[in-house]
Amino acid sequence: MGDFFSNLSLGFGVALTLQNLGLAFLGCLVGTLIGVLPGVGPIATIAMLLPITFGLDPTGALIMLAGIYYGAQYGGSTTAILVNIPGEATSVVTALDGHQMARQGRAGVALGIAAIGSFFAGTVATLVIAALGAPLTKLALIFGPTEYFSLMVMGLVFAVVLARGSILKAIAMILVGVLLSTVGTDLETGEERMTFGLPFLADGIDFAVLAMGIFGIAEIMRNLDHTETRDVVRQAIGRLLPNRDDFKQSYKPVLRGTFIGAILGILPGNGAVLGPFASYTLEKKIAKDPRRFGRGAIEGVAGPESANNAGAQTSFIPLLTLGIPPNAVMALMVGAMTIHGIIPGPQVMTKNPTLFWGMIASMWVGNLMLLVINLPLVGMWVRLLKVPYRLLFPAILMFCCIGIYSINSLPTDVMFIAFFGLVGYMLIKFGFEPAPMLLGFVLGRLMEENLRRALIISRGSLETFIERPVSAGLLAVAAILLVIALLPSIRKGRDEVFTE
Amino acid sequence: MSTLHEGSGPAEPGGPVRAPQNVAGGVVLMALAALALWLTRDLDQGTLNSMGPAMLPRWLAIAVGLSGLALLAFAFIKHGEALERWNLRGPVFVIGGILAFALTIRPFSMGGLTTPGLGMLFAGPLAIIIGGYATPEARLRDLVILSLSLTPFCMILFGDLLNLPIPVFPQALTGLFPSNWSQKEVLRATAAIMAVAAVIVFLATRGRRGPVDVTDHSGRI
Repeated sequence: MGDFFSNLSLGFGVALTLQNLGLAFLGCLVGTLIGVLPGVGPIATIAMLLPITFGLDPTGALIMLAGIYYGAQYGGSTTAILVNIPGEATSVVTALDGHQMARQGRAGVALGIAAIGSFFAGTVATLVIAALGAPLTKLALIFGPTEYFSLMVMGLVFAVVLARGSILKAIAMILVGVLLSTVGTDLETGEERMTFGLPFLADGIDFAVLAMGIFGIAEIMRNLDHTETRDVVRQAIGRLLPNRDDFKQSYKPVLRGTFIGAILGILPGNGAVLGPFASYTLEKKIAKDPRRFGRGAIEGVAGPESANNAGAQTSFIPLLTLGIPPNAVMALMVGAMTIHGIIPGPQVMTKNPTLFWGMIASMWVGNLMLLVINLPLVGMWVRLLKVPYRLLFPAILMFCCIGIYSINSLPTDVMFIAFFGLVGYMLIKFGFEPAPMLLGFVLGRLMEENLRRALIISRGSLETFIERPVSAGLLAVAAILLVIALLPSIRKGRDEVFTE
Repeated sequence: MSTLHEGSGPAEPGGPVRAPQNVAGGVVLMALAALALWLTRDLDQGTLNSMGPAMLPRWLAIAVGLSGLALLAFAFIKHGEALERWNLRGPVFVIGGILAFALTIRPFSMGGLTTPGLGMLFAGPLAIIIGGYATPEARLRDLVILSLSLTPFCMILFGDLLNLPIPVFPQALTGLFPSNWSQKEVLRATAAIMAVAAVIVFLATRGRRGPVDVTDHSGRI
């Protein structure tokens, strides 16, 4: 327990310096600014803003990136409430009741309770990370390549189960993602694989390029398909601070949402996505009058938003302790860390404690910033939301080009975002969801490396994966999950959760 | 505007195909698998004890191909979604804008051809104006003003404040300014000129709005 407090105070010592406070503020501000634009999710936001952190020291850069991430998340919720265009999967739920509240002239209250719930969830999640960080890092030390491989398999199975739509298509997308990650020079033998002899493919496909193409450019093309019917609330925003009744109605959902979100966020394979859905379903189930949901129930905003933010934050745990990015956003964080020469994993905490604890403390600071920035700036976001898409998307396009070019100074990278944009657009048209593919791509290289090592240790015997107890347990969980997801009755329930 | 119909359209699918979207998806997956298998044909697979470079890609490609096959097979059994209409205008102009940026940001040689490196000064507006035409609602005046104001903003932000190694303007431009000016000063001056130009274009063309257009009310209150 003493460790817990000394670590946190070390962290706050780092996070509360004037420079880092400024960076957290700036990160939250620009993150919200870009994230609030309709059709720009957190992944595209981070990829676009990655270059502005290049000139900073590693700690500062990660603090700013974390700020950008929270900002983008909150910006997405703002868009969901005010325009009914959820920027990403996790704010779909917020749009249901949040937008209805906005139509009733209670947009301010919806935004306010979202910010307050998020802040509370963020505070709890920060403490959870600080408390679990050290023990989980010790757990990581008993993980060998066999266990790592099985853990990643479990993560991918999770991603399949959590993906929307057909399970077969999700599996195919994961496989394609892992396949794409094998493009480039084989680390062991130095032979080039599937590079078409092109020199810029020798290092493999750059993650930022793939992510920007599939989540940035493809999204633009998709949005252009539909004639714009943007439903910006015409009613007044109203007062921002919830009154006593609002608080009374929402403090329990906030507590439950935080709890659900924090637990689901820790799971590898983008469990955080499930948080808001689970919280919404729960609130609706236990509500005295479930019919209010979908018509502007404040619980339907408070719970899911808290779950969303708690999950967004605890999803740092697998990354910081095991070095495994649980979702695409965390994969971008890995990219950013490697640019600054930090390899994520258990060694970060021991070798670089100021960075580790500083970042954790800055998460809390970032949440506080969001509360401070967003409530007074709501008017500005509303104005930004009224910019027509025909002016918005060329600007996004140019930012994407500049952002991706400045990462490696390669014009070919810019061309590749066009290519992957087209690929992503086709995937959407064929009914595939691109998120699992990105996760497969992220974990692919780590998986191959660990599979190879595990097999060398076991002298080529695949049985090692079921002989070692931890690995066998992880694989069993994965198998059970997959079977459950395929059972017809559960499948129906799953579809309901996602279509609600 | 060019629209393309694929498959049997949204009407009830005739013939044995019950889920046209899945047929297309399955075929694409199988083609991808075939491509990967063909590309790794010369690579060594190795043994489980010492995996060769082709081991994982080959088995993954086979798995992808099988998923494609399964998708295709199910498309004849289970009803699914029809293929959506394809709108070519969006992708064509968006990709055109990006390519224009990639080719002009710095000298890029393709075969015997080398494009001139024009820097952000030209690449930015090109991306905005070409890309902007991806929507039928595009208006040249708005796009010109947007590019004249956003480009200097990005030049100052990325080139001046953040010092990113991104080419901002062609070298020939420095000749137009007094020779004792530094790169940064030229950058700032160029940005200022563009910003002023944006204001001038905005003011000069304000009155002329053309016919009343119906698409503009989208986001306005």
